[in-house]
Amino acid sequence: MEKSNFESTQEIFDMWLKTYEATFGRIVEMPAMGPTRERSEKMMKGFSLFAELSSTWMDSNVNFQSVFMEAMRRVREKTANEMEGEINPEKYKEFYRIWIETYSETFKEFLKSGHFASDMGKFMSYFMEFQKFNREMLEENYLKPMNLPTKTEIDEINKELYSLKKKVKELDRVIKELSLMNPSNKDEIL
Amino acid sequence: MKEANLIDFEKFKRGMELFLEPPDFSVGTTPSEIIFTEDKMKLIHYIPAVEKPYAVPVLVVYALVNRYYILDLQPDKSVIKKLLDEGFDVYIIDWGYPSGTDRYLTIDDYVNGYINNAVDKIKQRSGLDTITLFGVCQGGTFSVMYAALHPEKIKNLVTLVSPVNFDTDKGLLHIWARSLDVDKIVDYYGIVPGDFLNAGFLLTDPFRLMIDKYVGLFEKIECETDDGQCELRNEETVKNFLRMEKWIFDSPDQAGETFRQFFKDCYQKNLLIKNKMVIGKTTVDLKKISMPLLNVMAEFDHLVPNEASKPLNDAVSSSDKEMLVFPTGHIGIFVGSRSQKDVCPRISEWLKPRSILNGEGEKRPIQTGKKRSERKRNSRTSRVNKK
Repeated sequence: MEKSNFESTQEIFDMWLKTYEATFGRIVEMPAMGPTRERSEKMMKGFSLFAELSSTWMDSNVNFQSVFMEAMRRVREKTANEMEGEINPEKYKEFYRIWIETYSETFKEFLKSGHFASDMGKFMSYFMEFQKFNREMLEENYLKPMNLPTKTEIDEINKELYSLKKKVKELDRVIKELSLMNPSNKDEIL
Repeated sequence: MKEANLIDFEKFKRGMELFLEPPDFSVGTTPSEIIFTEDKMKLIHYIPAVEKPYAVPVLVVYALVNRYYILDLQPDKSVIKKLLDEGFDVYIIDWGYPSGTDRYLTIDDYVNGYINNAVDKIKQRSGLDTITLFGVCQGGTFSVMYAALHPEKIKNLVTLVSPVNFDTDKGLLHIWARSLDVDKIVDYYGIVPGDFLNAGFLLTDPFRLMIDKYVGLFEKIECETDDGQCELRNEETVKNFLRMEKWIFDSPDQAGETFRQFFKDCYQKNLLIKNKMVIGKTTVDLKKISMPLLNVMAEFDHLVPNEASKPLNDAVSSSDKEMLVFPTGHIGIFVGSRSQKDVCPRISEWLKPRSILNGEGEKRPIQTGKKRSERKRNSRTSRVNKK
């Protein structure tokens, strides 16, 4: 029962993904034409990125849910074995202890697995790509037409500033070294 | 049964009352002065606690992740204060909070730039050619790199819970780092948000760190409302909790290029321990480390497992080297009960004979150009900057 619930969620999602890939997914991959060709093609890329992100999110989600189910199963087993008799507040504390210990341990096992690391790595990659795409779209479609500075431009300025600061520091160091070598010419060097 | 219920409710109520009128608390209260700044980096000098401190000054280098004041969280849990009381002349680097202009800073800028300039400044003030470098966590890794690149400036090297070997499965961060596409993260963020890293740290033990920790706080609250001592204890419990909570979530963002190189060269390729890591234009050769080395670890460290720190002792060429492992955790080593009782005294014990000028066997006053009383007047009691 528990397992079949997740399997159906996954099945529905897979069905949606397959349908998307066979229909709309193909349309958005078509080469664009006309004067807005470049912009349209970039915008359409967002649909594919979103589909990929959703797919990895679903994989991670299903895995997380399975771990929750396993943790719940273990808690049920432990409480059945360790907690008997009348229910009172001290028993609630005991239940809390079992709950936190079991959940903590079960999740640690999962988080340690290479499986989780690779899922998280994939999800983060798609998420970053999707966010980057959104920012680019915002820059292209709103900031640039309104003549407002974009993140890309600010980064360019920051890079220039970094290089200049580094250069100044280096020159400063050389001047100090030269003035130390020849203190009588210090004023000339400076 | 009803009574037990009431006690729990009373504890919760008392705790909430304390939070509604939160007690004032401060961190980083050991008197200090800023003696040098460069960009966002500040070099802090702590006012010595003895008239004639040990001659060789100690420069503490903390990680870029989180803030340096964990080493001076409160007077009774302060590694810094303990070192001062033991007679050392202590400096620390405050890295500040990187912003957009810092995104292109590299490890070369941190190690050969900021750390090197701080070391030169301390050398100039003390009139000595060498100082003690005391690196903590990632700051320890940077200190190891520095000591290998500039061994002529370092008299002693102390590393505290510092990773140098990243090829281990013992820590979750080491496992996760292998699968992370760091280029995509840095290319998108530029400056990697501190909250992003915090999310990773919380994920190492989500239920304990996001639920149990807070339940534990209310469990500690006492309910004898007529007892003044009990009120004071409750207030102290809340203050201690808030100090730690502030530190945990006071997470500076990370300079993107440094983050990229640290992740790729250290966590993913493990170049440092293989003597293949390049900083600036120089390859870091750990065999160049020949000065006395003390490598300190926490047995139950879940962020920097012992396997990540231990190989340092075999990688260096120092003949005078020691390794200490304490039964505590990554944070416990700074603020846990063993920190003041065992960790700091053992480090001081090791440092003392190595902090005396060669052949002199005596302590020497520091040269600052200011009278001690003047320095005290000018010093600030808290050096914690707000974002």
